[in-house]
Amino acid sequence: MNDIIFLIINGITVASIYGLIAVAVSITWSALGLLNLSYGFIFSFAGYGAWLAERYLYGEPIFVMFMGIAAGIVGSVMVCLLVFIPVHDKPNFTIRGMIGTLAISLIGGQVLLQNFGPKAKLLPEFFGYGKVKILDITITADKIGIICSSIIMLIIVVRWMKSSRRGLEIRAMMMNPHAASIVGIGVRKTGIYVMAVTGAMTGLAAVLLSQTYYLSPFSGLTPMIKGVSIALMGGLGSVRGAVIASIILGFNEAITSKFLGGRYVLMTQFLLIIIVLIIRPRGISGILDKAREA
Amino acid sequence: MSNILEIKGLSAGYGPLQVIHDLDLIIQSGERVGIVGLNGHGKTTLFYAIAGLTHWQRGSIRISGKEIGRTRSQGPGRYTHIVVKEGLAIMPQGDEIFHGLTVEEHLDSGAFTPESWKNRKQKREEILEIFEPLKKLIHTPVGRLSGGERRMVSIGRGMMSEAKLYMADEPTLGLAPKIGKGVLEALLKINLKDSAMIIAEQNVALLEGKVDRIIGMHAGKLKGEASSSLSMGLKN
Repeated sequence: MNDIIFLIINGITVASIYGLIAVAVSITWSALGLLNLSYGFIFSFAGYGAWLAERYLYGEPIFVMFMGIAAGIVGSVMVCLLVFIPVHDKPNFTIRGMIGTLAISLIGGQVLLQNFGPKAKLLPEFFGYGKVKILDITITADKIGIICSSIIMLIIVVRWMKSSRRGLEIRAMMMNPHAASIVGIGVRKTGIYVMAVTGAMTGLAAVLLSQTYYLSPFSGLTPMIKGVSIALMGGLGSVRGAVIASIILGFNEAITSKFLGGRYVLMTQFLLIIIVLIIRPRGISGILDKAREA
Repeated sequence: MSNILEIKGLSAGYGPLQVIHDLDLIIQSGERVGIVGLNGHGKTTLFYAIAGLTHWQRGSIRISGKEIGRTRSQGPGRYTHIVVKEGLAIMPQGDEIFHGLTVEEHLDSGAFTPESWKNRKQKREEILEIFEPLKKLIHTPVGRLSGGERRMVSIGRGMMSEAKLYMADEPTLGLAPKIGKGVLEALLKINLKDSAMIIAEQNVALLEGKVDRIIGMHAGKLKGEASSSLSMGLKN
């Protein structure tokens, strides 16, 4: 019994970190039509931002965390200015955008490698080493912190998208870019907002994951691959789908690494994604959609 | 009376195809103008050209004296949001809607000037007075509405901002005659004050006696003009 609950908590912890990236990928795809493969770079960039802040400015965990989020925003807006704005109205934008962001991810990784060296860096534990014991089960403060802060971030983003004017513009553009321009919503300006918000989410994911493991110039690649595949399984463009998919894949990761071993995680994960996409080509969101399109 | 819209020597099209041929048009404030013509003769393209949505265009387009036309060769829609903010309310043909937004949010999305955004609640009330059936659907996603209701939402969205020029593209297309008539009547209820309105239609009878001028459109050119009551005499 304890084992199972332990697995569930592990699953949710993993899910909440990857879920942040998946939701970011999903929002960027449906609002901008950009499959952003540079989240790996933004992830490492945010991590190094947090690391620099901790080292040279102020070591208070909450400050470091916010600096990580801020660095994520900066990195993401940079990608927007370098890739999205120049190519968004050119023919074959989807492919060009994908190649451009992938290039940024690789080049950016090299730049980080050159400046910070290959040695892994450590971030401080944000949530301390405390433990909570509920009914014989010990949960580390770390896990509670990760789960809570991702959920808070997700709620803030979703609330903002639901209630603010910019959020309305972003959602309008997600649904019909052509009609959006007719009501005076500019693609480029909205693009910067979208990238800033998704950058903040990636930044949070980066500091949360880096403080548990470590930080290196290419440590963002695996979370990005997982984020993109979760977004695919959830149905690109759906926030709810991405959240559900990240929970399913989080459990899958916890269960697989417990019973089969960590090296099988990617295998079972992709197997699961393929099965879901065979049954529901539009991913999980295909089941959730109530409104008919067009 | 001042000129709201002043088009001179406008040509526009898509790729190698030229749809609008050297077109001139002047619309004054307070005027309601109907543009009638068959499918494929350039009514929608004329609207698209004004909004900067065609693939290419040349010629001058002025809104209240401000030049918004330019020679463009690529990037349809690149400047549309800027042009729209000059005071265009576009009620496009067909289903240019945001299917996942609720009716309320959908109407709000049309309030693109800071001022109309501030007064959006009051504006919404006004529009719901005109489109009664939408009242009880206010929290329903637009994607679940019927064709006529969608058209009401789409026209309502165009009415949310104080525009200089309202452009309605075939507001009755695809609707049952009775519903179409209702939609058109609601459209004509908009208090123009200093602004102007263009309605594109295929059905002359619908516009007869309700607009100030009717202009025919044929093969990308404006042909023949009549005051609305004389529209039966519309010829080349």
